[in-house]
Amino acid sequence: MTTSTVQAPAPDAPVPFWRNVKTLGIIAQIVFVLLVVAGIGVLVNNVTTALARANLPADFSFLRQRAGIPIAETPIRYTVTDSYARALFVGFLNTLKVAIVGVVFASLIGVLVGVMRLSTNWLVRTIATVYVELLRNIPLAVQIVFWYAAILLPFPPRINNPVTLPGGILLSNVGLAVPWVYPTYRFGAWVPWLVGALLIAVAVTVLRRRSLARRDVVGVVWPFPVVAFTVVAVVGYLVAAGDRSLPPGVGVDFAADRGRGTVYREVDGRRQPLAFVPVRVSVESAQLRATSQNLVESRRRVDSTVRFPLVHDYEAEAIELEFADPAAAEAAGYRLHFERFPSVATVYVDRNGNGVFDPGEETDPDTGVGYNGVEVVMSLTGFERVVVSDRDGQVRTPIFAVPAAEAAESEPAVPAARGRFSAFGQAAVQQASESVLEAHTEVLGVGPLVVSRASIPVTTFEGGARFTVNYLALVLALVIYTSAFIAEIVRGGIQAVPRGQREAAMALGLSPYQTFALVVFPQALRIILPPVISQYLNLTKNSSLATLAGYAELFVVASVVSNQTGAAIPVALLLIGSYLAISLAFSLVLNNVNARLALVER
Amino acid sequence: MFVPIAPRPAPVPTRGPVVWLRKNLFSSPSNTVLTIVTGTVVAFALYNLALFVFVDASWGQVWANMKLFGVYRYPADLLWRPLAVAAGMMFLLGAMAGVGGRGSITANAFFAFQGLVGLLSVLAVLFWPSVRVLWPMVLVAGFVGFLLGRARPRVVRALPWAWAAWFVLGLVVLYGVVPGTGPLRVVPSRDWGGFLLTLVLFTGIIPSFPLGVALALGRTSRLPAIKYFCIAFIEIVRGAPLIMWLFIASLLLPLILNVDANSLPAIMRAYVAITLFSAAYMAENVRGGLQAVPRGQVEAARALGLSAWQTTMLIVLPQALRAVIPAIVGQAIGLFKDTSLVFIVGLVDFFRVADLVSVQPQSLLVTGGVKLEVFLFVAVIYFFFAYRMSVASRQLERQLGVGVR
Repeated sequence: MTTSTVQAPAPDAPVPFWRNVKTLGIIAQIVFVLLVVAGIGVLVNNVTTALARANLPADFSFLRQRAGIPIAETPIRYTVTDSYARALFVGFLNTLKVAIVGVVFASLIGVLVGVMRLSTNWLVRTIATVYVELLRNIPLAVQIVFWYAAILLPFPPRINNPVTLPGGILLSNVGLAVPWVYPTYRFGAWVPWLVGALLIAVAVTVLRRRSLARRDVVGVVWPFPVVAFTVVAVVGYLVAAGDRSLPPGVGVDFAADRGRGTVYREVDGRRQPLAFVPVRVSVESAQLRATSQNLVESRRRVDSTVRFPLVHDYEAEAIELEFADPAAAEAAGYRLHFERFPSVATVYVDRNGNGVFDPGEETDPDTGVGYNGVEVVMSLTGFERVVVSDRDGQVRTPIFAVPAAEAAESEPAVPAARGRFSAFGQAAVQQASESVLEAHTEVLGVGPLVVSRASIPVTTFEGGARFTVNYLALVLALVIYTSAFIAEIVRGGIQAVPRGQREAAMALGLSPYQTFALVVFPQALRIILPPVISQYLNLTKNSSLATLAGYAELFVVASVVSNQTGAAIPVALLLIGSYLAISLAFSLVLNNVNARLALVER
Repeated sequence: MFVPIAPRPAPVPTRGPVVWLRKNLFSSPSNTVLTIVTGTVVAFALYNLALFVFVDASWGQVWANMKLFGVYRYPADLLWRPLAVAAGMMFLLGAMAGVGGRGSITANAFFAFQGLVGLLSVLAVLFWPSVRVLWPMVLVAGFVGFLLGRARPRVVRALPWAWAAWFVLGLVVLYGVVPGTGPLRVVPSRDWGGFLLTLVLFTGIIPSFPLGVALALGRTSRLPAIKYFCIAFIEIVRGAPLIMWLFIASLLLPLILNVDANSLPAIMRAYVAITLFSAAYMAENVRGGLQAVPRGQVEAARALGLSAWQTTMLIVLPQALRAVIPAIVGQAIGLFKDTSLVFIVGLVDFFRVADLVSVQPQSLLVTGGVKLEVFLFVAVIYFFFAYRMSVASRQLERQLGVGVR
């Protein structure tokens, strides 16, 4: 064996510094940093001189000023007198509201379409392919405006003729209203039970995990913690709901002729509004009036239509409709046809004499337009409706008028007399005051939660959970657009699972559904999740296109604030900071998911 | 005694429409139900769509405003200028297609665009007197380019320079050279709009390419100062949506440059924002390619005595860029769609024209408005271009994949 020594060429001669890579690197960096600093310095100098010249604010003090920005949809209480900071915060919450709902629905639709793309059924596969290709290749801006201005504004009927879906869901061109559950003043009685339920659920989880670990078996995954939580929570709810007494000093000042009132609680002589309590409003006999008109609804001209506030026929003992001037109506031959009794009707003249309404009979053949300005009176007897007060304690009903005959008997000079009624405790205290408008209100006792249903007192949704058409259009467009991208990711992920996995599962006797749900999809998830999370981030960032749908999210509010105050720099910094924070949050989640999904190799 | 054997049953057909139907639509009871249900829904939807498109819709406003959709307020007597730029583009595309040959990706894309130009030429000859000659010229320019490319494949070397020249010359032709009147007069950029503006903004991807490559190289640099500067730039820009950068650029660029707000046209602010935004995304794409180049390539290059600069420019970048071409096309599609956001700085691009048309007095006379018609039209046009690009990208991916293996 021979050993050979390699003689390194003696590097005695020092490398001159201009050929030393290390030194060159340091010099390059110093030059670069100097250039950057100088550049930034020039720019900052420019900005400060420009700001000083234009006299624009450069600090954040404007945030405390009164904003005066009206925002239609606010998750927290907000009025135009609030500060800029609060307006921006409302915008931020609105962004989250879009992002969270959008992420959930985009995932559901995306997974569905992604699976459809791999269907053995040609038709299903093709539909999914067309869906993905079509929606990925049309700008999101076009899609938002399409849903907002071309579909949701013109197509659903107007507010006083909404589409009623089962379960009390109302859809119209101002938005969607669904029944919603709200915590009442009694919610506090339930909280200890909820906390207890949570503690028990945690305890059950920990104990089960330990006992399973000790026995070293894979147990059948019964949702014991969920069951325990549910049982304790339900028992607690029943106990808490057992006591339905109202707190002392509760009342409601309700004016039937204004159709509104406030539920309040008197504490130390001061009235505080009481949110989310049901109030039964009863009106002995009252009238609503409406005049026939021509309008455009669902892209069609609708002639001679009479629209009352939405009243259901089960809400009153008797409902009668007649023309305000029966003699004139008789002379003109007017009749009423109901599209939706008793709220939506058409005035027509039975020209062909068959006794029923035929299309075309609502239009005057001489003028080519409908019979406009025909007044119709709806007389309600024994009207009763339970209204849940909103978060400001407001209760609203249709604006009732005094029946004409009774008004003439008592006070002919005052057409709209005002009735004020209040109720204390559980039983209503009726006070027939100066008006003949028989209305009384009763605040009902309630458990920890109350179901608020939507109604349309005049021309807005009240009660329930309401989503403006702007919000719907934005979420719809974002969900559909993002779901197309998610579908492609899901398809790729499922295809990337080795064939052998599916075949092995089938060979073990698993059903096609079990094969997919227990073997293929969990493995595909490893590939799917990281890119899908970046799609979630895209969805959140894309919500800044809300301005196209008139929805006040963070960017929209910020641009209004910037225009109002001229504080371009602070607003820009705030915006960049907020979006970076959102991005950072998403990348934290992503890193966490990646770490959990990483294959554990032995 | 002759006993004929029983005839064998006819072979089960393995092809033909009936087999296809049975295999793809009615393979099992559940599949049959699925087919019938979805088929009904699809038929209903298509019927309603057809009913709308051919019966209920009023397309008059879209047809009447074709010039607005095309170039917005660009002077009618100067339409030869944008069309000359279009002719230049089709000529160069045609040359690329000719070099590539029939069936190549560029040829497929070229003929798709040429089909659109042909359609527009027919419409121009029949209905639009002011561009009656010009549109067919664009068509001819495309074919001339194609023939040139086929006859002399070596023009491929000159093509990058030709595209650069087209980019610069095109902007000059669009903007004009002399103030005042005449065929070469200046057309201020506030009069540019419609699809012309969409395409002009889309060219923002061209300057974003060298910027993005520089940022990607900076991000992979060993020098921390440069590396962290590039990381900060890329991540901050990518962290916020383009619409916010457009808004900020329109507010801050005049302040940052300390110039009068009116002396900086909106198109320039939008262009800067789009280019920088696109560069940050480009950098991330290119970085993916840089990481995909095997280390051995660098080591081999260094062993051969190439300098760091030569290694990067001659060995690493060509391989890295080749690998990320599909990703860059994907980004181009995204940018093409994102140009619709420039409404935020007050520019009237193709998308914004649709909005303007839908609120014209004549549009409001139509019962129910014409928003649906107008936005369907816009969506179809955007779809044509974006889908064409994504088809090309897919073909490219397939081709490159084959080459690598």
